Amino acid sequence: MNKVKNSASKMMQPLLAIVVGLIVGAIAMVLAGESVLNTYHEMWKGAFGNFYFFTSTLERSIPIILAGLGVAFAFRAGFFNLGAEGQLVLGAVTTAIVVVYLPFTGVIAIIIAIFSGMVIAGLWSFFAGWMEQRFQINLLISTLLLNYIAVLFAGYLVSEPFRDTSSAGGVPQSVMINDAVKLPALFEGTNLHMGFIFAVVATIILAFIIKRTTFGYEVRMLGQNRFFAQYGGINRKKVMFTSMLISGMLAGLGGGVEVLGMHYRFIEGALTTPQFAWTGLMAALLANSNPIGTAVMAIFLAALDTGSLGVERNTDVPNAISDIIQAVLIIFISARFTFTFLKLKKKEGKKHGKSI
Amino acid sequence: MLLELTGITKKYGDFFANKKIDFSLEENEIHAIVGENGAGKTTLMRMLYGMETPTEGSISVRGIKHKINNPNEAIKLGIGMVHQHFMLFPSFTIAENIVFHHEPKKGILYNRKKAEEEVAILAKKYGMNIDPSQLISDAPVGVQQRVEILKVLYQGADIIILDEPTAVLTPLEVKDLLISLRNLSKQGKSIILITHKLNEVMQVTDRVTVLRDGQVTGSLKTKETDTGHLSKLMVGRELAKKEKTEVKVGASILSIEHLNIIENSSKKKLLEDINFQVKAGEIVGIAGVSGNGQSELIAAITGLLQVNEGSIHLADIDITNLSVRQIREAGLAHIPEDRYLWGSAKTASVEDNLMMTEYRKKAFQKNGILHTNVIRKFAKETINKFSIKTTSQEESAQNLSGGNLQKLIAAREIQQNTPFLLAAEPTRGVDIGAMEFIHEQLLMKRNNGDGVLLISSELSEILSIADRVLVMFEGKIVGEFTQADVSDEKISLLMAGGKHEQG
Repeated sequence: MNKVKNSASKMMQPLLAIVVGLIVGAIAMVLAGESVLNTYHEMWKGAFGNFYFFTSTLERSIPIILAGLGVAFAFRAGFFNLGAEGQLVLGAVTTAIVVVYLPFTGVIAIIIAIFSGMVIAGLWSFFAGWMEQRFQINLLISTLLLNYIAVLFAGYLVSEPFRDTSSAGGVPQSVMINDAVKLPALFEGTNLHMGFIFAVVATIILAFIIKRTTFGYEVRMLGQNRFFAQYGGINRKKVMFTSMLISGMLAGLGGGVEVLGMHYRFIEGALTTPQFAWTGLMAALLANSNPIGTAVMAIFLAALDTGSLGVERNTDVPNAISDIIQAVLIIFISARFTFTFLKLKKKEGKKHGKSI
Repeated sequence: MLLELTGITKKYGDFFANKKIDFSLEENEIHAIVGENGAGKTTLMRMLYGMETPTEGSISVRGIKHKINNPNEAIKLGIGMVHQHFMLFPSFTIAENIVFHHEPKKGILYNRKKAEEEVAILAKKYGMNIDPSQLISDAPVGVQQRVEILKVLYQGADIIILDEPTAVLTPLEVKDLLISLRNLSKQGKSIILITHKLNEVMQVTDRVTVLRDGQVTGSLKTKETDTGHLSKLMVGRELAKKEKTEVKVGASILSIEHLNIIENSSKKKLLEDINFQVKAGEIVGIAGVSGNGQSELIAAITGLLQVNEGSIHLADIDITNLSVRQIREAGLAHIPEDRYLWGSAKTASVEDNLMMTEYRKKAFQKNGILHTNVIRKFAKETINKFSIKTTSQEESAQNLSGGNLQKLIAAREIQQNTPFLLAAEPTRGVDIGAMEFIHEQLLMKRNNGDGVLLISSELSEILSIADRVLVMFEGKIVGEFTQADVSDEKISLLMAGGKHEQG
């Protein structure tokens, strides 16, 4: 019973955040002079209204889920990986280039291309972990700054050496991939591709690792109290390197499947403009880094985006409505961090009046 | 009657923290409040000091009923409180800390000279030896406590509440404090002493009130009672007498030779030429005031700190500078100094906390996959066997009381059946029931023929269960006693840096 109560109270926070987000969204709709019910109805229709919209929402959630899982996993071990964006982009550009230059096509080529993207993205994240170990460089800062290097470098690769020169001008992009290495769509006539299956499987595997394996136990204990972990003989360095590697690989997988399943090439800005990685981070934080929760939140956040397009199509409310709701969620997340911090402070203060 | 609490009840939801408590304090009286953790001592004092308001009941000072809404009102009524954790500004002088908020002024400026004079006079009046111009950060703990008391006196308190004042003091400082308390009462002050150390109660107080589960179980004249009776009132049953069976001391389990640890930056020796052994079937106690190298010794033995020189052997394996995991596999169990920092993850479940030293073992995992059913069963059994009070094994550790969490840690470490156990401050801040339990477990381990190293700043703990006592001072071992020739005074002197006189 206690367990139920516990998980219920864990669910309460994100739910409350969402409810308040939707209320603030409603206020914005009123200000825009539209009916709230009607607008939310349009949003619902835009996200889940028919099979095509529904699959578009799921498609959009793929990179968000995978980036979010990466963040969540590192966070469980106590490491704040803010580098999902760079890792996503590196995974995407590597996959896009490798798959074009492989001398063969087919399933093996897909696997090799995706895997190389994951490895490069994983190493990029690992590199930040290594710098923390070796030079005590703060992970928060290094992972964040490595994003710029990764994104700009990927942009350079498709602007210069690997640019698709067949189409003059336009956005820098790599060469279109062969039909035989495209990830198949799950349903005829929709965008939803195999990548979604990968994301679901990754979610389940990650949940299993965290809950049911010795490595997951080490990750959880390290994340909850590094001194306790050290005392018990958990090797912080090993767990950190492994979790950063896996974290980066998950984001890299997200980039790779977007290239092979959606864009069919690496297009500069196609993964950064929609803020996939940051939305993934938000999903992970809203879900308290629970893998399944992260996936659910990712789908919800993707639905906000696709839904707001529907809103824009059919009402006078601009699609910025999605940003407004997400902004409220961000405030809630930061409020939770501040609140935990304040509670901690208060507790410390209380200790002073306590007898043993 | 100076102070009278009648029928005080404090309810949190359905829970009675205090239930119909009557308490009185006379002029010049030292009145102790004793009780186990969670018995309601602190709650009661917080109400008296205006930090909480009672659900029912009344407080009267000098015959007049008062509602005390905040500490300022309490201070105005002449009630002052010395908290267990000092609330002083380290970078201010002693005088500045004492006059804080009531500073003597020269125009609008702070009058330093007058402040120091006033403080000096006050200190002299109550026979407390301090230097008003010294910085708090340079003052030893005992002096800081005097400052706290003087601060309360400066604010004009007639009733002084002291919350566990001796918890942080060395035995000599305790002696000084008890003398000061006597002085204060002679000079017209009344004192409420919250404590769980019954021998201090016997030494200094006039009356004792015992609380258990939020209710008064006894209010007695100190002269008419003894520690045995008081602990019975506190715990609700007779405490079993510790019986130490003779155990044949066997081969050396832990052996430390010429151990040196040098601080990286300052090149200061944290540990200097430490040599000793713990043999099978004995409990070796290390006495000493906290901060004299015990933490470094613990860290060196358990693999948390790099050893510069010397060697440590555990059951014939050289464990010098091995990893924590290797040392644990060689046969170490370790009850850590700080249960919250090292000993547990407070947001993790009871079960997860119990698994820390077990999860790698064959019984609990195969190829890295945990056997959740086995783990659940193991956790349930451990909780029952060691009577750890928790709603379930899913409960997070932070919801356990301090004593129960300590029991959990002790259970985890003792259950491993290793040949060696390092128990650091195993009963710090736990109530008598849990303390008795943990001591029993340590003795059982010794009787099993294992070696136990007990490091504690609580002298009475060491004296009651150790077979051999070493004293640490400034990173060195400055004395060794067998149980036969050990005494409170000899150790106290060494702990404070005095010379050990042979013969």
